[in-house]
Amino acid sequence: MSGPSPLVVSKVCKRYGRTTILEDVDLCVRAGEVVALTGENGAGKSTLMRICAGLTRADAGRVTLEGRIGYCPQAPGLFQLLTADDHLVMFGRGVGMSRAESIARGHAILEEFDFPLHERTVTRDLSGGTRQKLNLGLALLTDPSVLLLDEPYQGFDRGTYVNFWDHCDRWRAQGKAVVVVTHMLAELERVDRVVELPAHPSRTHGVLR
Amino acid sequence: MISFSRIGIMAEMHGRDLTRRHGALALLVALPLSFYLASMGSSDYAVSAAGTGMAFAVSGATLFSILSSHEVDQRLVLGGYRPLELLLGRVMFLAPLGLVIAGGFALLMSLVSHPDRPWVLFLGLAVVALQSVPFGLAVGAALPQELEGTLVLIGVIGVQLAVSTRSNVAKALPFYGPRRLIESSLTPDGPILGPLVQTAVYGLALLVIARVFVAQRVAVERHQPSLTGAAEEV
Repeated sequence: MSGPSPLVVSKVCKRYGRTTILEDVDLCVRAGEVVALTGENGAGKSTLMRICAGLTRADAGRVTLEGRIGYCPQAPGLFQLLTADDHLVMFGRGVGMSRAESIARGHAILEEFDFPLHERTVTRDLSGGTRQKLNLGLALLTDPSVLLLDEPYQGFDRGTYVNFWDHCDRWRAQGKAVVVVTHMLAELERVDRVVELPAHPSRTHGVLR
Repeated sequence: MISFSRIGIMAEMHGRDLTRRHGALALLVALPLSFYLASMGSSDYAVSAAGTGMAFAVSGATLFSILSSHEVDQRLVLGGYRPLELLLGRVMFLAPLGLVIAGGFALLMSLVSHPDRPWVLFLGLAVVALQSVPFGLAVGAALPQELEGTLVLIGVIGVQLAVSTRSNVAKALPFYGPRRLIESSLTPDGPILGPLVQTAVYGLALLVIARVFVAQRVAVERHQPSLTGAAEEV
């Protein structure tokens, strides 16, 4: 497989105190490629995603990134008393989208994940899975070319979960570079590549399968 | 470049968030009112106490506006916002809200406590409300843990209430200027300009502190593209 790589991680290291979380991690994700990032709890998957997004600074190493990023964190960071539309308007404005544009585009995305658009419920009163759909929708709102999805399907019902992996196929076809943190080994056949982060970074580096 | 449109959206969203917290809104009014009513035996002290209650209420609301959005703020910065826009959005909503509450209380206290200069009382309460916003922002930004932030807020405003304005400790605290203004309203010739300037300087310093800590807390590293454009790999 060849092509441009919008996301390249080179020799990234991260320590918290005396604990090494990541050591010399390399990762290269091409346009139109879906990569699954796996590993035991504490292997540093979420930390690596945060470093790629720029939310956490690596102690060493380098990340290069081409294009707009869409980051879906594991825990939806949302305002408890704002509605989905409020969030869409707020996040859309960050990149200069108008109110109408943000809502129209956001609704189109959320509809694909069966988000209950007819309810004007504040996020605190949404179910965990529905909140997660909004969380994912916000990551997709600005049509990013690099998608960093940290266990984005948590709380999804079976139908939406299957739908999520169908969307991965669509994102691949659209030429997006997608990284999905996952523990769902049954779905690994649907990705192009699996990158496993070792539990003990000093023993081995990222293993590609 | 700072965008007024993004600041406006943040102000609107903080407004929506707070106006859906009906209990918090009620307490914003009830807290200064209870301080005032509880001190009614001493007319002069009651006016100062109401000011203190307002400082608690407005800075508390500000503190929680910054603490409750800890996770969202960094994501918003990733999505194109600047840390200063997040701060100014809060100021844009909370400062006018504080002024409305101050106006209501100034009217009430003018009718009940009959200060010598009601307009100075309004000015003093307005300054309390305005100072409370950067104070709450600075505490929330510097101490992002709820318990620590709340205890510092209670401690600083509590000490300000407890000590006389003649004490050196009082002069080092953020609500010294506003308190002097409120006390000036009870006399025909108390100082006005000095406390106003002092409050403005303190308020600006608090905003700078909030800006520094927020920028540090929500910082996003913007990764650059590869020097040769998108990296090619076979």
